[in-house]
Amino acid sequence: MSNRTGRGQGFGIALSAFVAFAVGAVTALSLLLGDNPALFGDQPGSAQLAGLLALPADVLLRLVTIVVALSIVIGIANLLTTHVGRLSRGKFYSAVLLASFGFTVYWYVTRRGDTSLLEAVQVPIESALAALLCLSLLHGGSRVLGKRADIWGLLFVAVAVIVLLASTPIAELAPVQAWRDWLMRVPVGAGARAMLIGIALGTVVTGVRALLGQDRSVRG
Amino acid sequence: MAENTIALASFILTLMVFSYLLGDVPLIGNLYRIAVYIFVGMTAAFTLIVSYEGLILPYLQDIQDQSTSWTALGWRADIYIFFTALLFVLLLLLKPVKSLTWLTNSVFAVVIVVGASVGLVGALTGTLFPLLYATAALPEDFMTNFSALVDTLLIFVGTMTGLYYFHYQARAGPDGSEGQSRVGRGFRHIGKVFLVTALGAIYASTLLTSLTILTERIGFLFQFGA
Repeated sequence: MSNRTGRGQGFGIALSAFVAFAVGAVTALSLLLGDNPALFGDQPGSAQLAGLLALPADVLLRLVTIVVALSIVIGIANLLTTHVGRLSRGKFYSAVLLASFGFTVYWYVTRRGDTSLLEAVQVPIESALAALLCLSLLHGGSRVLGKRADIWGLLFVAVAVIVLLASTPIAELAPVQAWRDWLMRVPVGAGARAMLIGIALGTVVTGVRALLGQDRSVRG
Repeated sequence: MAENTIALASFILTLMVFSYLLGDVPLIGNLYRIAVYIFVGMTAAFTLIVSYEGLILPYLQDIQDQSTSWTALGWRADIYIFFTALLFVLLLLLKPVKSLTWLTNSVFAVVIVVGASVGLVGALTGTLFPLLYATAALPEDFMTNFSALVDTLLIFVGTMTGLYYFHYQARAGPDGSEGQSRVGRGFRHIGKVFLVTALGAIYASTLLTSLTILTERIGFLFQFGA
């Protein structure tokens, strides 16, 4: 019995991996080669060939966009169901969330195009949360420096202080602004490029793993 | 909504969020959580409205209009795409049914892999190739402008050593211990200088942005109070 179940699971994993590889390879090739007639030189019909190669990616991206849009609706339905469940257990904050959700939908349905609710509630809360980030960053920075008072911590603080001082409109600090400009152009540019290239390489590796059916999300 | 009502609501909600700074004081401590729950409920509602009005409704209208088509395959193909997407969503909802796991995983694989392909092609053509080209390119006036040449070389060294910093290959020494060679450690230290400098600048820029918002909020509170 367990042998049969194991064989069934093996079949499922193999099928998912095969589907993943086939769809992924078609999409990636279609995105790379499609809509680019220059790749095929001056051959007659190169524009039609390029359009034909772009078609699979066009269809699959449209399909996935609709799936994702419907998944968002299902996700919100799940959030509401969870909070209705919590409300029945007497959780006050879930009532606040459900009331806020219901009121927003009601407002939108009855007053189309009126953005005053967004201005009165959403924008102030977002701004206030972003403002709190300033204090959290200062607190976190001071903790890091307190725990790691080494050369790297000092370098981190020195760069941060130069960037902060250079942004003040004080005429006497003009040389600091020149340092800041050079810092941003050369060492910060190099460090940021290294991080971005690292992220791009990580994305490529993760993408290839998914295309080969090796990713956990694909294998199930 | 009247201007005064908007300002009053903004004032109260800003104070409710700032009450976080007071910590777990009875009653006042709950105000922050109430504001956050209001925010989550409203964000969920706006997300629902935007995904319905911006994506689902236009798609529903398009499949009824024979004069428009999403792809070169024509209007009839749009209907097939839409109903295939609906079928996919229904299959994803059947995830808890164990006997259908192979089917839901295959549908999930299609969604994940199409996203991964877009990410892969985007990372290659949008980030990796342009950045590598920009890093390796010499300035046009490098024969006459020495400082530009030095800057370009510094950027090249910083980028390469910064990338090397994330490389964790160790080799066994003669006494059996594992570690990096001296040259490798040197490269990592140089790379760390550039990475820490970049992180310090990013930290300061984020601090400046949030400081600007904080001063605007405090200014608003005083203005409203006055």
